[in-house]
Amino acid sequence: MSQVVQSEMIEQVCQVVIEIMSTMAMVESVFVGVESRDTFFLSNEATGLVRLSGSHDGMLGVCTSQAVLRVVMSNLVGMDVDAVGSDDLMDGIAELANMISGSFKARARLGGMHLSSPVAILGKEYVATWKTSQPTQILTFQLSEGTLQVSVSL
Amino acid sequence: MKLLSIDDSKTIRRILTGVGGMLGYEVLEAENGEAGLRILAEHAGDVALILLDWNMPGMNGLEVLKAIKARDVWQHIPVMMVTTEGEKSYIVQAIQAGAVHYQTKPFTQEEMAARIMEALGMGGM
Repeated sequence: MSQVVQSEMIEQVCQVVIEIMSTMAMVESVFVGVESRDTFFLSNEATGLVRLSGSHDGMLGVCTSQAVLRVVMSNLVGMDVDAVGSDDLMDGIAELANMISGSFKARARLGGMHLSSPVAILGKEYVATWKTSQPTQILTFQLSEGTLQVSVSL
Repeated sequence: MKLLSIDDSKTIRRILTGVGGMLGYEVLEAENGEAGLRILAEHAGDVALILLDWNMPGMNGLEVLKAIKARDVWQHIPVMMVTTEGEKSYIVQAIQAGAVHYQTKPFTQEEMAARIMEALGMGGM
């Protein structure tokens, strides 16, 4: 994928994340930068992952801390932060990955691309890597409680 | 009257339950299409609107929609698709199969409330 298309993809993912955070979770998020890696890499306390296939092949992952995710979930579903449990975090990070990948697909007009059901990973310490045909762009967003990262390889 | 949310995401079902509650509706929840059809069989007379996801394990939303519209006793119940799938081809398929509204995610609670009211014939956008 050319640099021009990569830059368009980054811009579209940025728009999608900021829109979802503001409309669904009522959380302000600010894009702070992008890093390119040669492998798909995930590491944080909560991860949502969607496989992209069909006309385009790749992956999209959303990583954040449980503290950030608790605040996002609290706002999303209207419950106290302290009442957000592990099941809520698992479902929430999966739905975030689902919404971000679905909205990105629509915004980028990737009609023939299929999205897998989202996978949720919750834990204190892990590093997950995948070999992909394209480099991974890791976009970092600053939220009030911490950072959220969206990784895309396409 | 009640709303029926069929969505594999507990998060989305909770959001829709909150919006329905704001409008004064109890929201029945189903985590997949098969469970949704079972709940509909038990509560068909009470369900005013079905809020239906597209991508779910088992039956997808379009298959559930077609199953609903194939039953004489259910086909009058309006169905709103609530999904991340925003492509024109998906929207056309859903409308052709009988969906009355198509709401893509993300949405604000106010936006969803307005769409529900509209689908229930209680207000316009």
